[in-house]
Amino acid sequence: MCRLETKMADEEVEKTYRWEGDYEKTWEVLQEDAAGSLQASVDDIIHRAKRRRLQDRQLNVRLGMMRHLFVVVDMSQSMEDQDLKPTRILVTLKLLENFIEEYFDQNPISQLGIITTKNKRAEKLTDLGGNPKRHITQLKTLANTSCVGEPSIMNSLDLAAQTLKHMPTHTSREVLIIMGSLTTCDPGDINITIKMVKDLNIRCSVIGLAAEVQVCKKLCSTTNGTYSIILEDTHFKDLLLEHCTPPPATVNTDSSLIKMGFPQHTVSQDHDSVKPSMCMCHQDTEAQSFTPSGYFCPQCHAKYCELPVECKICGLTLVSAPHLARSYHHFFPLENFREIPLEELDSELSRFCTGCQVQLKGPMVYCCTRCTRPFCIDCDLFIHETLHSCPGCINKRIGPNSS
Amino acid sequence: MAEGEENLMVVIVDCNPVWWGRRQQQQAEPSQIVLSHCLDAIQVFVNSYLMLSHRNRVAVIASHTSKTHFLYPKNVPDPRLDQRRGEDGRYEQFATVDDTVVEEIKHLMTSDTTNSELKTDTLLAGSLAVALCYIHRLEKEYQAGQQLNSRVLVIKAAEDSPSQYMNLMNVIFTAQKQNVVIDACILDKESGLLQQASDITGGVYLKIPQMSGLLQYLLWVFLPDLSMREVMALPPKVQVDYRAACFCHRTLIDVGYVCSVCLSIFCSFSPICSTCETAFKLAKPPMFKSKKRKKSIQNGGPSTSLLQ
Repeated sequence: MCRLETKMADEEVEKTYRWEGDYEKTWEVLQEDAAGSLQASVDDIIHRAKRRRLQDRQLNVRLGMMRHLFVVVDMSQSMEDQDLKPTRILVTLKLLENFIEEYFDQNPISQLGIITTKNKRAEKLTDLGGNPKRHITQLKTLANTSCVGEPSIMNSLDLAAQTLKHMPTHTSREVLIIMGSLTTCDPGDINITIKMVKDLNIRCSVIGLAAEVQVCKKLCSTTNGTYSIILEDTHFKDLLLEHCTPPPATVNTDSSLIKMGFPQHTVSQDHDSVKPSMCMCHQDTEAQSFTPSGYFCPQCHAKYCELPVECKICGLTLVSAPHLARSYHHFFPLENFREIPLEELDSELSRFCTGCQVQLKGPMVYCCTRCTRPFCIDCDLFIHETLHSCPGCINKRIGPNSS
Repeated sequence: MAEGEENLMVVIVDCNPVWWGRRQQQQAEPSQIVLSHCLDAIQVFVNSYLMLSHRNRVAVIASHTSKTHFLYPKNVPDPRLDQRRGEDGRYEQFATVDDTVVEEIKHLMTSDTTNSELKTDTLLAGSLAVALCYIHRLEKEYQAGQQLNSRVLVIKAAEDSPSQYMNLMNVIFTAQKQNVVIDACILDKESGLLQQASDITGGVYLKIPQMSGLLQYLLWVFLPDLSMREVMALPPKVQVDYRAACFCHRTLIDVGYVCSVCLSIFCSFSPICSTCETAFKLAKPPMFKSKKRKKSIQNGGPSTSLLQ
């Protein structure tokens, strides 16, 4: 029997045991269609969960924009299980590649690190860094290694905390654990580790592949993280991508002014002759070569090929204005569109979707609350997930702050 | 073009009536370019594009100050146009596109009844958003194995409007994620926003030196496919200035201070952020421990004993 969604409410702890409550006819939620497939039902559940998440999002909450996230991948024996095709570990690795790209797309000034746990030990695969390609190449090597032994949550948390405690206080420190096993093998009392992690202001979230485990639930509720169990692989992808959006900042996160450099792409020239130079990012690698152009750090004039990067010489963070602009849409989140049946649509409004001009067929159409224009379901998802701006509001010149 | 690949081009025409009207009044000679000449050039360009291959598709959007109007393809086909089409000897597809565009532009210009105050900037971000939604819908209609390569050509007349910065940046990042190339053909003043758009998405940016040669520039630069662009000698890439402008003086800065809460950029340190009004934690100077001083007083100096 699978739980549809795991809530973090404290009321659950005080309620009676599950068998003492009323019958929950969970089988009635799933409806088979004409061919006997459950896919439409599952898609519907996921779609409604997405809309509910958008609605539950708290507005006017400070977000942790500069994030340091450690992803802990469970590589124990249970990950060789074949309930996700071909094996759990291969599906996890593939989805993590998508996650890494999406994470750096939505949070360009944040950093990510990967830790693996097996044989009751934890090992750091990649250190905290801002270059997605490095993480993805290392992740691909994991596909060939075997999954053995038991995972250890305590060791992974200790390893992550070692690095995270040195990070500046204005950043948001997070750990995301992907657990396939139902057990954890720890050398000491895990409650002490949980307390240590809470004191360090680290937000721990867990995505479980099997079933709910009390230890993980306690970890997440103490540190204000989220604990979810997957239904199937599309749900897994959804839950992972949910962690790409910045979480609300904790009370202990300081706010400070961070010094940053905005270099221009210049060609280094001395009157008429071009001055080639070596770059700092490809130092000690085979790709090292002399090039005349690049980004020069405004403080120490070290050369880099790509942004964003942290200058190795003077420690200044180098970014370009579009990198910061990528995160601006988090400050003005788009409200959920109102879902109304096609028949109740205002007769003055056109029967064509404002976005893609397709004829609205229903059963439901989605109307923006600010500009009242109707949209089809595909445009609704596209606008909320990717575009983050309503075309109707832009054309009617309605800003995000107006009511 | 490989098997199973189709190309889609969306042309966004800037029909800002304020800009075109002002231009017509300012021009001394009657032989200068007006909106109808521009539309003629666009029609020839679109026909040439359709003629290149049977698998090329096109859509035309008009960008106005008060709305975005889809010119072609139309939602509801006009029965009068169908009748007229069979009468002349034109290739049917060209006739459909040309007549529809002309009818819709006339409809757009004559039906513009804005009761509120007149705005002078074009709704470019809105037109791009609608174009991306349309491209997204068409891409969904293709099954695995068939691919749709899309690009957007913006023919811009009026100046940039800074109030659309946020929306335009959202649209640009979406286009980059969807692999849609944004090309820009500028008729009058340079546009920093479209320079950024074409740089980020990998398109071509061109400011036309002479408006009378619009068709020639369109056919030279924007007609060939994306795959042909590597072998062509296109106008050189513009060096885009990606430096940020500080929020207090609007000057471009090399080194700035960024608020960690709202990501606003300042040129100098200040204790409070002016956008989100957060007070910042100031770095305290290192504290010197005064243990040694205390010890010398206790050992050497006169001590007052409490037990007397």
